[in-house]
Amino acid sequence: MIEVRDVTKRFGTVVALDGVSFSLDRGGILGFLGPNGAGKSTAMKIITTFLAPDEGTVLIDGTDVMEEPLAVRGRIGYQPENIPLYMDMRVHEYLRFVGQARGLRGEELRRRSGWVVEACGLAPVYKQTINELSKGYKQRTGLAQALIHDPDLLILDEPTSGLDPLQIIGIRELLQSLAREKTIIFSTHILQEVRPVTDRVVIINQGRIVADGMISELEQRAMGSNRVYAAFRGGDPEMAAALAGLPGVAKAEALEAPGGGARFEIRGDFDADLTGAVAGLARQRNWELDELHESRFTLEDTFIALTRQTGRAAEEVGSHV
Amino acid sequence: MSNVGTVFRREFAAYFDSPIAYIFIIVFLVLNCGLFMTPFFLQGLADMRDFFGNLPLFLIFFIPAVTMRLWAEDRRGGTFELLMTLPMGASRVMLGKYLAAMAFYLVALLGTLPIPVMLSILGNPDLGAIAGGYLGAILLGGLYMSVGIFTSGLLRDQITAFILGMLACFVLFLVGIPAVSATVDGWIGGLGTFMQNALGLMPHYEALQRGVVQLGDIAYFLSLTGVFLALNTLWLEGRKY
Repeated sequence: MIEVRDVTKRFGTVVALDGVSFSLDRGGILGFLGPNGAGKSTAMKIITTFLAPDEGTVLIDGTDVMEEPLAVRGRIGYQPENIPLYMDMRVHEYLRFVGQARGLRGEELRRRSGWVVEACGLAPVYKQTINELSKGYKQRTGLAQALIHDPDLLILDEPTSGLDPLQIIGIRELLQSLAREKTIIFSTHILQEVRPVTDRVVIINQGRIVADGMISELEQRAMGSNRVYAAFRGGDPEMAAALAGLPGVAKAEALEAPGGGARFEIRGDFDADLTGAVAGLARQRNWELDELHESRFTLEDTFIALTRQTGRAAEEVGSHV
Repeated sequence: MSNVGTVFRREFAAYFDSPIAYIFIIVFLVLNCGLFMTPFFLQGLADMRDFFGNLPLFLIFFIPAVTMRLWAEDRRGGTFELLMTLPMGASRVMLGKYLAAMAFYLVALLGTLPIPVMLSILGNPDLGAIAGGYLGAILLGGLYMSVGIFTSGLLRDQITAFILGMLACFVLFLVGIPAVSATVDGWIGGLGTFMQNALGLMPHYEALQRGVVQLGDIAYFLSLTGVFLALNTLWLEGRKY
């Protein structure tokens, strides 16, 4: 359905996108994740033909956005991050304007208007001036605008930003019901917003794709390792080697111990009983344990590691995804 | 062409959605008719030469004020992205906006029609000259309008777009007046006259004002208008890169 191929976009000396490629089949939802300024909006602007890539291209069902932009625009519904509303218009006038500009007329326009008003819950404000609407209604009017011509492909840039939790749930449900017949790409910088809607994510940071896959895989990878912190009163030069030799332990790293003694971060397999093993070893060797606790990696840690500035952690985790 | 009509309707309605449109039209009529009527009773001549004579200078202020919002407002409000991702070419959106601004100007111009009616009742005016004058006013307005929409596209801020538009219109006006062309001729022989003939709008406008409708004058206005509209479209397309 949509294929982004090696897209690079520069603004002056700033590289907004650097060889970005991903693809999505018909009928899927893709969560486009990344911190602010990662290049999400730029990528969406290129897919919707608002901007042209410096290198690479985007194909929508085989149609090149550079060669046939008008054909592509007809099939795409787009909600930019900055919601494109005419503040002086009433909701129904605005929807009629966008509908007509997208070629809808007469009965079809009435039918589609009625449908988007229903789907986006705009009935209470239908006759109101857009200027007077709350942030939530403005956001939904923006979504209605993107849906009015019944597009195959929906590109939504931060569709839930500024909404309250109930409204976010409403948008999620709408996206899920739309995904039965449409392909949807939506961007967000909040990880938790993706999980309830879709499993498929592309994570972008500093213009590069750092992860492309299923959240479940990412999660598995994140949970794939486990870490334990242990501190001992008094030191023993053999400690590090002994800890590293425990079953299931991949690495034992000495940390700074604030009150004297020795402190370690021990990493190992997800299913290994690291705390039990460390406690057993301490008993056996008569080491006095001061601290022993487990701190598992979360999905959040993975996301942060992936999007942190070209850190080693990003490469470490990213290479597995 | 129906999508040009959609943009046209939205833009035309936007003018009248705010009180600014009415203020504009009232200022336009009060100033123009006022400037015309003051010496009218002293001279006792049943013609509109003074009225049309004032227009080239007056419109330099009025037209950029009408066009300044055309793109600047969309770029500031975010609707620019909507317009540029509609399944119609940028030139059509531009044309819809341009025609809406023209229609607004024509409404203002329509408000001056009581003057020729009054003249016909009071005396025997040369209706040919008046018709030529109105044709000139429309063509001149159309040219300024194309300059104004072009400068509005270049800038995000309406006030800067207004000032730049005014300056550009003023340059077109200046190169066409004899005083300026004579001065420039004094610096570089022939350059002033060349610019006056090639670019200046006054020689063409004055001919129309006298009631002499020549294809060359009409072609001047239409082609220069076309150049600015084409530049505007080029900018809209080129901005993507």
